[in-house]
Amino acid sequence: MLPDFPKELDKGKAIQAQYIRRHFSEELQKAPELKAKGYKYAYLFVMGNPIELLRPFDVFIGVYPEITSLNISYKGEAIPVLDAAEGLVGFPTDVCGYVKMGVASTYMANKIKVTVPVIGHMPEPDLMVLHYTGCQVYIHWWELYQYMFNTPVLVYDIPHLRHLEDTAKPHKEDIEYVAEQLKDSVPFLEKISGVPFDESKFKETVKITAETWDYWRQTIEMEKLVPAPYDAYFEAIYYMSMITIYRGTKDALDYYKYLLDELKARYKFINEHPEYAERFRLIFEGVPPYHNYKSFWNLFKRWGARMVYATYPKVPGMELFRFDPSRPWESEAEYMILPYCNINYKDRAEILAKYVDEYKADGVVVHSIKSCKSFSSNHGDFKEYLSKELDVPVLLIESDHVDPRYYSEAQIKNRIDAYFEALSLRAKR
Amino acid sequence: MGMDYVMGVDAGSTYTKGVLMNEDREIVALDVTLTGANINNAAETIRRKLLEKSGIKETDVKLVVGTGYGRYIIRFGNIQVTEISCHARGAHYLFPNTRTVLDIGGQDMKVIKVNERGDVVDFVMNDKCAAGTGRFVETIIKSFGLNFKDANDLALKSRRGIALSSTCTVFAQTEAMEHLAIGDAIEDIMYGVFKSVITRAVGLITRVGLTPELTFTGGLSLNPIAVKILETMLKTKVNHSDMTMFAGAIGAALYGVEKLETEKYIG
Repeated sequence: MLPDFPKELDKGKAIQAQYIRRHFSEELQKAPELKAKGYKYAYLFVMGNPIELLRPFDVFIGVYPEITSLNISYKGEAIPVLDAAEGLVGFPTDVCGYVKMGVASTYMANKIKVTVPVIGHMPEPDLMVLHYTGCQVYIHWWELYQYMFNTPVLVYDIPHLRHLEDTAKPHKEDIEYVAEQLKDSVPFLEKISGVPFDESKFKETVKITAETWDYWRQTIEMEKLVPAPYDAYFEAIYYMSMITIYRGTKDALDYYKYLLDELKARYKFINEHPEYAERFRLIFEGVPPYHNYKSFWNLFKRWGARMVYATYPKVPGMELFRFDPSRPWESEAEYMILPYCNINYKDRAEILAKYVDEYKADGVVVHSIKSCKSFSSNHGDFKEYLSKELDVPVLLIESDHVDPRYYSEAQIKNRIDAYFEALSLRAKR
Repeated sequence: MGMDYVMGVDAGSTYTKGVLMNEDREIVALDVTLTGANINNAAETIRRKLLEKSGIKETDVKLVVGTGYGRYIIRFGNIQVTEISCHARGAHYLFPNTRTVLDIGGQDMKVIKVNERGDVVDFVMNDKCAAGTGRFVETIIKSFGLNFKDANDLALKSRRGIALSSTCTVFAQTEAMEHLAIGDAIEDIMYGVFKSVITRAVGLITRVGLTPELTFTGGLSLNPIAVKILETMLKTKVNHSDMTMFAGAIGAALYGVEKLETEKYIG
């Protein structure tokens, strides 16, 4: 079993937890008084949202239904919310769990009995920002809110990444297409907010994000070190919440500055205490089962395995991307095009293969989920490509990210144990 | 110095199988019992039976290796290995040219790709659902008041197999009853039950890729109709014998012998 790090080397997760609490209790729960003061709740998706364009108006508070749903599930409260979604709202069971819980926790907020109410409810939206980045359900999800609350939807049409150029950049034409839409949307945002747009504030926000992003990227790339200083999946999912919720703020910048230092100290510590070093280095593809997050993580820790790269924490944006404050519109556009799920399947398979080499990984774990077709549809092909063509050992397991009814620990554990037994023999031979 | 022995116990969801093996990898006894509600009791029964059958003293059994879903519950087990690794090793022991293993047990189905040493190279399993497992067949034939032998005998006489849904055990059961109600022959319905499971198995085999030879293990491999349908669908010969249901326990015992050898070598 990989031991837990001493507390002084594991503050990063606790600090982000404080910010998450602040988001739910200070920003979402106090909606009536904040709305009265003129604040507007903007519903946003995690993948590639243009929060840098909203911050300069000083009145928008970001609401992330995906994050609310996963937190409900993480706290073990998914069932009553899913019951409300299926029983009261009328969703069929096979609709995405994020959508069901997201809609129920706004629309049915007063009828859901959860023991952690602070995360169970979301304020009614004043604006919904739709950026069609990889998930085909996004548009219909926001459409539901529009029907329920008559809320305006701001739509950015984001081209799918048909092919990454050699420089790992989206096509120039695509960037221009999105940048123009961003500029065109300014009068609409001014109307909704009642605040005139200040371009210098926008540039300043992009500058903060650029610096923040650079620290985040360095954090990700630290995992090339052997031994790895943290788990690039199970721990990075905590770390990524700041880039997701507080991107474009000084808080996020300070957080990643701190985190990088903490992880550097950890690396020094592991080298002095080899019992903390990983036995297996793995790459993780897919969304985690939030309802059984820690027990699922333990199934890997008990084999001494540490994830050294994971695609899921790249959903808010790939680390190969750099914000460029000298061309803020184009940079924001590029960011919106480049989230992991907007990349075509063939390039995603190549990204996995590339990182197996770069991060010196022993294998790849793929967690496919019932809810999300955009993440999971090609998982079988990833496995086939990596295992048959590149001889990379791949474990493919299935459950759901927020719905515990699809999770069977005994069966998952069996597959994980068998995978590590095979990896152990492979290492021995 | 006398011979050392190891015991492999495969605590499956329906049956608990046991194998006693000597350090030369020779099987000296094997047995099976219903698992029931108390896994540990079933494992205890197997241990007693194996010792009685073989006449080996308990003190000569140096290691007990548990496998199957109940492997961690076996109180006297020394080490645990998943049945995926054990079936691979056991199938390779029974048929050394095995490169693909199909195991259909009580609650899961797995296809394992193995190398020339019997190590797992890759595997796929059915998802969290009883369809495609021995339990699927058992549930339906029980609702007809039949046992496996009767169902086999009937299915072998089928003239035109009926296609049954393979996605849900409960729905397939209802479907089978409906076929009976409209006058379809029970022989054809039984054929459809086995065909439904084997169709799912063939899907999994295709995902991993069929590298000959294919060895069929687990309880369902004892059913001649299941073997016949599998061979027909894959157009290939399938290894099976009355020992293949013990593949998991044999594999567990082999892991035990390997561990004994390592310990002796290290000293």
